[in-house]
Amino acid sequence: MQLRYVFSELGQGLRRNLSMHLAVILTLFVSLTLVGLGVLLNQQANKAADHWGSQLQITVWLCKAEDSSAACTGEVTDAQRDAIVAVVEENPEVAGYHLETKEEAFEKVKELVGPERFEGPNPAATADDMPESVWIELKDAEQFEGITSAVRGLDGVSGIRDMRETLKPIYGSINALKWGALGTAAFLVLAALLLVGNTIRLAAFARRKEIGIMRLVGASTLYIALPFLLEALVTALVGVVLAAGALGAFMYFGIHERTADDLKFMPWIGTGEYWTAVGAIALLGPVLTLLPTLVLTRKYLKV
Amino acid sequence: MIRFEKVTKSYPGHAHPGLDQVSVDIEKGEFVFLVGSSGSGKTTFLRLVLREYKATSGRVYVAGKEINRLASWKVPRLRRDIGTVFQDFRLLPNKTVSENVAFALQVIGRSRSDIKKLVPETLELVGLDGKGDRMPDELSGGEQQRVAVARAFVNRPMILIADEPTGNLDPTTSVGIMKLLDRINRTGTTVVMATHDAGIVDQMRKRVIELEHGKVIRDQSQGVYGAQA
Repeated sequence: MQLRYVFSELGQGLRRNLSMHLAVILTLFVSLTLVGLGVLLNQQANKAADHWGSQLQITVWLCKAEDSSAACTGEVTDAQRDAIVAVVEENPEVAGYHLETKEEAFEKVKELVGPERFEGPNPAATADDMPESVWIELKDAEQFEGITSAVRGLDGVSGIRDMRETLKPIYGSINALKWGALGTAAFLVLAALLLVGNTIRLAAFARRKEIGIMRLVGASTLYIALPFLLEALVTALVGVVLAAGALGAFMYFGIHERTADDLKFMPWIGTGEYWTAVGAIALLGPVLTLLPTLVLTRKYLKV
Repeated sequence: MIRFEKVTKSYPGHAHPGLDQVSVDIEKGEFVFLVGSSGSGKTTFLRLVLREYKATSGRVYVAGKEINRLASWKVPRLRRDIGTVFQDFRLLPNKTVSENVAFALQVIGRSRSDIKKLVPETLELVGLDGKGDRMPDELSGGEQQRVAVARAFVNRPMILIADEPTGNLDPTTSVGIMKLLDRINRTGTTVVMATHDAGIVDQMRKRVIELEHGKVIRDQSQGVYGAQA
């Protein structure tokens, strides 16, 4: 197939309809950025949930060797631990539980702060500095008083952390941001689809003479539609690149520079999650422009 | 080459069909005039051959294929065997004469070397050698129509369809175009021409098919425009 015509048409089409293409690119850019943001926030929420568990969890800290809690008289003994686990197991409010060892707790801290501070001859902490804990999953977030009162005061219990109180506002704001971004993106995606449709209509009108002759002399439908499809692809690619840049800026200035340093107590998304979001918009962008193009070229360029 | 078997084409919202039970057989290499008043069905006939329309009933055969049943992706290939010329030339104003003719080959994917050979050859055939670099608006109406004929014929189609090709031309220029179409016909190309031009039809003495209200009312070899012969 001779593609010289296709490419010269592509260049001409992009120039001829420059303002429409810019409108499509800008709309795509903003909507894809918001979609990418939604994907990132979703991963952030998942990451936090992996680390802390869900809102249905409460954590029972067991006494460690030099515990600051007044309830502790020394490190929890095997008998005390067994008694606590037995109470948890029998409680009807408990859906399940997990006994976290000192080593597990240590690994979590290393992951959060970075392992380099725990290496060498003078580490910041060792596994022995970490408390053991029981992570309890509730059947119902509202039914928790039975288990907390049953466990509180048992020998070997240093304290109880109610995850619902800590996590609710964090999950709440992450979710609100996520749905805000995705909701706004949905409207912009619709606008992008309509803009692409209008652009095609204009382009088909501007080329109606050529298209009429092409049909008459027997050019294939694909050949006629190819400049339109390539235009759609080019605008999508520009939109995706811009959005990927904006997301990169968000990752760097929004998370890496600020939050990740100030708010070390929770794990933050990184490069891996960024590429997942970029992958998602790299798929979505071309779909958003190619889909209306395919539908409308079938309509306007019918043989 | 072209066969209509009881072909009817009706348009939604119109009481009378554009073509009504038309049966016609046009052999390879024939020259046929399609005459009749406006609205008699000439253009409908031509569009059915091009498969721009599908017949409502009956069968249309072009080059041995029943084109009503042709899958739509095969329609472009059918059209490569048919050249088309219109009253209004339909040249691309921003392309030179050569580019206009070459366009028809480019868009069906012919190689550059084919185009380099065929375009000047065809321009010479239609009497436009040396004018390949002109723009269409620098040419007279007759010359523009020659470009259109060159574009229709450059791919050496089996059939040439002309819809009132002399409708915008003065009589002297029209004669030139007719000579050209006759020359193309002599290469073995079937020519079907719809026209209102009585003088030309009478002069050429070719087969005449007359349509009225979508029906064939006369089919005469070596015919004339009016029914008096």
